[in-house]
Amino acid sequence: MVEEMNVIDALEARVKRREERRDFFKTVGGAAMFAGGTAVAMGGGFTALQAQSTPSEPDVLNFALNLEYLEAQFYYYASYGQGLPSSILGGTGTPGAVIATNAGAVPFQDAAVRAFAREIADDERAHVEFLRGALASSAVAQPAIDISATPTSAFSAAARAAGLIGTGATFNPYADDNSFLLGAFIFEDVGVTAYKGAASALINNKTFLEAAAGILAAEAYHAAMVRTTLYAKGVTATSLIDATEAISNARDSLDGPSDIDQGVRPVLDQSGANNSNIVPTNTDGIVFSRTPAQVLNVVYLNRAAVTLGGFFPAGVNGTIRASAAN
Amino acid sequence: MEQNHASVLLAACEKRREERRSFLRAAGGVAAIGAGAGLLAACGNDGGQVPLVPAPTPTPTPTTAAPTEADVLNFALNLEYLEAQFYSFAAFGVGLDAGLLTGTGTQGTVSGGRRVTFTDPLVAAYAREIARDEIAHVAFLRTALGASARVAMPTIDIGSTASGAFSTAARAAGLISGASATFDPYASDENFLLAAFLFEDVGPTAYKGGIRFLTTPAVVEAAAGIHAAEAYHAGLIRTVLYRKGLTTASLITSADRISDARDSLDGPSDLDQGISPTGSGTSIRSNIVPADSSAIVFARTPGQVLNVVYLNAQAVTSGGFFPNGVNGTLRTSAASA
Repeated sequence: MVEEMNVIDALEARVKRREERRDFFKTVGGAAMFAGGTAVAMGGGFTALQAQSTPSEPDVLNFALNLEYLEAQFYYYASYGQGLPSSILGGTGTPGAVIATNAGAVPFQDAAVRAFAREIADDERAHVEFLRGALASSAVAQPAIDISATPTSAFSAAARAAGLIGTGATFNPYADDNSFLLGAFIFEDVGVTAYKGAASALINNKTFLEAAAGILAAEAYHAAMVRTTLYAKGVTATSLIDATEAISNARDSLDGPSDIDQGVRPVLDQSGANNSNIVPTNTDGIVFSRTPAQVLNVVYLNRAAVTLGGFFPAGVNGTIRASAAN
Repeated sequence: MEQNHASVLLAACEKRREERRSFLRAAGGVAAIGAGAGLLAACGNDGGQVPLVPAPTPTPTPTTAAPTEADVLNFALNLEYLEAQFYSFAAFGVGLDAGLLTGTGTQGTVSGGRRVTFTDPLVAAYAREIARDEIAHVAFLRTALGASARVAMPTIDIGSTASGAFSTAARAAGLISGASATFDPYASDENFLLAAFLFEDVGPTAYKGGIRFLTTPAVVEAAAGIHAAEAYHAGLIRTVLYRKGLTTASLITSADRISDARDSLDGPSDLDQGISPTGSGTSIRSNIVPADSSAIVFARTPGQVLNVVYLNAQAVTSGGFFPNGVNGTLRTSAASA
């Protein structure tokens, strides 16, 4: 029965992934395309199709810093039962508190997942400190962040949008290993797409560009760790794989018409063999980008152009603060 | 067994601390944003690549013309040929289509690959996913470069003979000993994973090291997207090795030795980490991400990448996985000995 379900699921997934890839190409009009105002023409050679005014380098790094605050606080609570020290939270803009009702150390059953959580927590804190050091006095303060587990929290709103919980219910990412992994999944691929979308804005400062590439890679390693673990656990707990697809679709519904997100459901190839889907990519094997505004759609949990909501109840600090109108 | 595991962990804990210490030492203790620059500066003479920023050492490195975007993408294409052929043979038992191998320079052949008989269906699924991604990267880079600029696939050795690249690398890492011993990456799930590990972290460091030479925003973004895909692959392989290493501790020690061997090839700075966790008991912390103390993944210059794939710490133009060298202008490894 379970076997059969797997086959049917996988068949559906194959169709779905094809559709997603078709959508992707439809959206971009047949060219291999990159969000963020530029495109690669596939006839050989690269062509910038559109020029957009690019944000300054500190703007981009401060935008990233907001995201790192969020990630670091979540993983810190999940791993250590407490947030980042206040000494690394100050800066320009409006400082905010962490809303952490019911947040706490996850009672991990799987020692490997606990080890992964700690590694990611320490890495995200290091990213916060690195960006703050790079930005020095222009670093933004941590804005208000909601990582709580209540019926009205950002995590519950995200889980409800994905259909994982019903009205009035709570999604608690600190409850157990699997809930933690799904909570992490909500963030992880977003970080990668955000850094990728921002990379070209740093092109004139090779030091920043290379540092951003190094953080991008770290986020991709994190995302792979989480996705690989969810996929392996999903072999017996198939609802986990369904949940990643639902979260992915929810993210996709927020950030505009193009399909730039994928869950971890494996894809059957022509010979009927399973191909995992750990890496969310287009048909060129290239990971997706999100513009900063699209990233804000996801973390504000709002497809409209707004300046606050979701995980950032008072908005992010810095000049890049409005989500896109999708 | 338990004891072995514990002692492995303790030793690894020591080691990672040392690694991070030596990183800081190599970087000269400079402030955060300077760390990357300091690290690069510490690489010393890296085969003529232009340093990112002036090195904080009294002797300035002579600069030569920076490689063009096409040079960098072609360099990447050589590496993608290697990865794609390895995974394609391991997953499907066949190599790349002939139409994906043509181009400038000397077209070579690929020798020694074959299909792995996987025991763990998940590892088989991972192999197929990575194979398809790497083939897609080859196709993408070839299209992006265009017919007149792209390099042909050079000769590639992915075999398992005693004198082949995999066995040489495994011998250097201490996984096998004796001139006639062989390492067969196609013999088992575990060997496949270790062989994949040998390549995987090199990809992210190579793309990270190459990105500075790119000047077109769309190219930067495409390269960042391939860079990310390679990091996902590496994260996947490291996660699986770590998980399997909880019951088969030798996998973790083997991965650590491969990391050390890579590090011995690419110069004095520590640009590589194995997968041994740090800490113990409930405060154990994995090391899936090979990164510096700012949790920033390392970069290798093209010359350092060639040290690894040529399996040679000297400045040479061929060897290891590329017996006749790579095609294109970036073909000499760094003098890292």
